[in-house]
Amino acid sequence: MIPGDVIVTGDYRPGMYVQRRGSDMVALRVGLAEIVRNDVKVIPLSGAYIPRAEDMVVGKVVNVTGYGWEADINSCFVGYLPGQFVFGRDFSPSTHDLTTRFTVGDLMLAKIEAFDRTRDPQLSIRGPGLGKIPQGEIVKMTPMKIPRLIGRKGYMINMIAEFSACEIKVGQNGVVVVDGPAEGVRKAVQAIELIEQEAHTADLTTKVQQLLGAPVGPAPAAGPENSGEQ
Amino acid sequence: MPAKSFVVETIKRNQIVELLSKGKRSDGRGLSELRKLEIKTHVIEKANGSAMVKLGNTEVLAGVKIDKGTPFPDTPNKGLLIVGAEVLPMAASYLEAGPPDESAIELARVVDRGVRESEMIDVSSLVIKEGKWVYSVFVDVNILNVDGNLFDATSYAVVSALLTAWMPKFVLENDVVKNTGEKMPLPVHKVPISVTIANINNTLVLDPTEEEEAIMDARITLDTDDDGNLCAGQKGEPGSFTPEQIITAAEWSIARGKEIRQQIKEAAGHA
Repeated sequence: MIPGDVIVTGDYRPGMYVQRRGSDMVALRVGLAEIVRNDVKVIPLSGAYIPRAEDMVVGKVVNVTGYGWEADINSCFVGYLPGQFVFGRDFSPSTHDLTTRFTVGDLMLAKIEAFDRTRDPQLSIRGPGLGKIPQGEIVKMTPMKIPRLIGRKGYMINMIAEFSACEIKVGQNGVVVVDGPAEGVRKAVQAIELIEQEAHTADLTTKVQQLLGAPVGPAPAAGPENSGEQ
Repeated sequence: MPAKSFVVETIKRNQIVELLSKGKRSDGRGLSELRKLEIKTHVIEKANGSAMVKLGNTEVLAGVKIDKGTPFPDTPNKGLLIVGAEVLPMAASYLEAGPPDESAIELARVVDRGVRESEMIDVSSLVIKEGKWVYSVFVDVNILNVDGNLFDATSYAVVSALLTAWMPKFVLENDVVKNTGEKMPLPVHKVPISVTIANINNTLVLDPTEEEEAIMDARITLDTDDDGNLCAGQKGEPGSFTPEQIITAAEWSIARGKEIRQQIKEAAGHA
């Protein structure tokens, strides 16, 4: 689909990057169209990361204010992590030193707590696996291709983690942090770069399996993989 | 408010410092190795001289305009040579439009000084009528993409553009300056080469990338001329260099300068 293309005509609901014009459903971005029952959406081939509530992101602290931290989440919006989300409800700027938890340059795996486009997205690090990322190799990819990296029910990312013996933290904002033995990190980074380059091609799973030296076979529950979500 | 300068991730900083302690760099270069340098000249048709320089991912475009002008009152028998540099807001995500900030001003001044103090151009021969009319040489530089070491990339672009520049021939007729329509080459005598070296955790690295610049303690820019004489320098950032480190930096500057000068001369078609 390219912007202006009519995806389908009739009684449908416009979803992501789709606009209703009369009874036509028109694409707004370059990408692949997907129709599930009544919902029509376009999955863009490229583009910036727009925060959504409940997304996991990797943020880089760029500023420490009196009341919280500002984090670069690879978007046109700056993530904000309030102090009370880290220190608890009795947080007070005069008694707590924010820099003991995060300083400028620190990476965190965070969840988008709330975002409504009128204020900067609010981050939270409460939850399993969330918090400071102490070490690892940073890999950046197109945010729109993150679903391919994760794969159906996390199949792809689990496979890469298993065969490289690495811990991989994936942010929906396109920032990935790989940590583990040097050889494994190299392998995992290669696999991620392969997905970045060939995300739109068929049998991506097979290519990654070959790269990793994993047994080649079809992914469970065959179907359009681009709908993969964690 | 987003950050106004580049922030390096703490874990990346640790990686770079650890690699440097083993004498390695994160992009696989040697400590005194330059990134890939590409020079294209004659890129702006209407300018008197121009050059586009790529140093790794840093991209710089320079143009020369030569016209008649009035000399400064304190140097009535010298032509004008002014280098200006501007960093475009599109060059990096954290940059904003507006008047140049102090780093952009420093950039223009350091590059200007390198060209001026090496006496690359013989400004005393750019006089049409002493105290009244001289040639004015303006070199304007736009930074198109930022990936560290703007000093050297800008300097190479300015020098290449000047080497390819021509100037209109002016004559004085009844006290009026007339353009004869003829073209003549600029009186170029030397080819100054700027080399910037950063000090990160007491390891010297030549041609720092943006990541390396964000964590460096100090930086020094040294200009050398064709005979290997140091002719200009600038030290920046709060950290320091030991006397031995300065000697090493000067040796690197002279040695690398020779290779780079050769490359610039070839790209500009300058014998």
